[in-house]
Amino acid sequence: MTLVFHNLRKQYGSHVAIDDVSTVFQPGLIHGIIGPNGAGKSTLINMTAGSYLVSGGRISLDDRTLSGLKKYQIANSGVARTYQNIRLFDQMTVLENLEVCFYPTQVGQVWREILWPPFAAKRRINRRDVCMELLSFFGLQHYADAEAGSLPYGRQRMLEIARALVTNPRVLLLDEPAAGLNHHETTELTARLAELKSPDRIMIVVEHDMDLVMSVCDRIVVMHHGKLLFQGTPAEVQASSDVQLAYLGTANDIDDIKTAAKDRRAQLGIRARRRT
Amino acid sequence: MSSVDTSVQMRMRGGRLLSLLILATAVALIIVTPFLPNYYVRVANGLLIYILLGIGLNIVIGYAGLLDLGFVAFYAVGAYTYALLASPQFDLHLPFLLIVVIAAAVGAITGILLGLPVLKMRGDYLAIVTLGFGEIIRIVINNLDWLTGGPKGIARLDKASIAGIELARPTEIYWLLIVVVFAVAIFVWRMEKSILGKAWAAIREDQDAARGIGINTTNAKLAAFATSATIGSIAGVIFAASQRFVSPDSFALQESVLIVLMIVIGGIGNILGIVIGAAILILLPEVLREFAEWRILFLGLLMIVLIIVRPAGIVPRTFGPEKLIRGLFGK
Ligand SMILES: Nc1ncnc2c1ncn2[C@@H]1O[C@H](COP(=O)(O)OP(=O)(O)OP(=O)(O)O)[C@@H](O)[C@H]1O
Ligand SMILES: [Mg+2]
Repeated sequence: MTLVFHNLRKQYGSHVAIDDVSTVFQPGLIHGIIGPNGAGKSTLINMTAGSYLVSGGRISLDDRTLSGLKKYQIANSGVARTYQNIRLFDQMTVLENLEVCFYPTQVGQVWREILWPPFAAKRRINRRDVCMELLSFFGLQHYADAEAGSLPYGRQRMLEIARALVTNPRVLLLDEPAAGLNHHETTELTARLAELKSPDRIMIVVEHDMDLVMSVCDRIVVMHHGKLLFQGTPAEVQASSDVQLAYLGTANDIDDIKTAAKDRRAQLGIRARRRT
Repeated sequence: MSSVDTSVQMRMRGGRLLSLLILATAVALIIVTPFLPNYYVRVANGLLIYILLGIGLNIVIGYAGLLDLGFVAFYAVGAYTYALLASPQFDLHLPFLLIVVIAAAVGAITGILLGLPVLKMRGDYLAIVTLGFGEIIRIVINNLDWLTGGPKGIARLDKASIAGIELARPTEIYWLLIVVVFAVAIFVWRMEKSILGKAWAAIREDQDAARGIGINTTNAKLAAFATSATIGSIAGVIFAASQRFVSPDSFALQESVLIVLMIVIGGIGNILGIVIGAAILILLPEVLREFAEWRILFLGLLMIVLIIVRPAGIVPRTFGPEKLIRGLFGK
């Protein structure tokens, strides 16, 4: 089971955001995607999840072509994601945010659920058990009945990851999970990510926090101006003269990354303050 | 015993008292109404029909978050289905229950047909287009003289009857409506609590994220449109059977607006809220009958006050029937 990008391309009008990217993502590993602002990291995630159409090339999971399917079909093929800007169902409770993920598997018997209360009760307990376990894993069990939108920012990030995990996806795409988190929360997230690693799950993490990336990722893809610049283990990425020269090495670009991380915190700080 | 425990207990006792009070009042009103003079029973019947319409439209507006201003179209479809199948117009006199089934099916199909073209729309655009649909249906009815009798409408509709029992006098219609309103309310409430209801809520909150967790939003929205239209259509059948006369005048744009207002004032997404909203908007004009020239002004003022004081409606979304039941049994 692998997720493969075949000569992937994305254009916004005349602007080429992704230029001929080919790579393979393996199960059992955590893959990091790094690169400065505008490198095309989110675009890769968005195309994989079906939020954006691809302009050229192909994305496949096992032998199945994902690109071209509708977003909900891609989700039902086992691809789950989080968003760079948190997108929860704000007015639903924390628990409901997870429960609703059972829709694809349970909607077929919705008539029975509506008309036959004992069946509905069984379903409800069933959903609740699975979701509560996930909430506990992320330390959110005490928030189960709170409105998702009322949670502190860091908790919302965790909840979004929990929501992505309800269906036990084969591919988990995380777009900047540590953005806006404080040091303590980032440490917690790093631990959770390591625990989520599983032989039958492909994990892809886009992240600006280099400590997190270097400590948790097994493989790293370096993006630069829409092109795949380098890929390898964290040690290889850090040692690569290519990356050093063209990217990490130059004072400019390493600054780019650091500025990006700082910008992100400032932007998200605003959202966090506005909500509380 | 700690003070936290006692305060929780007190709150629970308070909730229980409130639940008991609400339920007792409701039961008393339901039982007393049919013994009142016919005028009051007729008013109650009108109220119940609007509650039914509110429950139906709330599925689309309150649960799925789609502002539909053409709901009256389905009400008209149901009313005319009855009028055509149980009147001298074509000399058809089908049994009442059979017509209910036919009207439900016709309603669902119309709901899906009118839903399909607006699947990609939201907010203001959706409101304008559905408003157009509502008007189109009314104008078509107005112009199809050979079928609908045009502006004159269709008169001398059959009396409704179920299993040989005639349902024509106001009290008889009243009991029919009570049964239907309760059945529909329970059905819709269970629907809201089902996985489909949760999907509607997700679509309301963030449609794209809903797709991202695997919800086929097309199907879920069409299910909302179809269910809502079915209920509107059934309300139309009962309306036609109780008036025994239909004409396009009953299905003007104001009706749609009135039903939306009921929902907004009572509390979006909440069946109990709809009952309150309907009571205010339907009963108040009756009470204020003697001040005919003032009542629109009065209603307008009331609405302004309510929107300032309770922008999310009188009954909050979270105070649903389950709160009432839980309050009663102290769970
Ligand atoms: N919807 C869009 N329409 C037009 N251009 C877009 C769109 N989304 C992204 N772009 C452009 O594509 C390029 C890649 O954007 P992308 O969001 O993938 O970058 P990124 O690597 O995720 O950056 P960041 O670290 O800031 O999140 C940028 O130049 C961006 O301006
Ligand atoms: Mg990005």
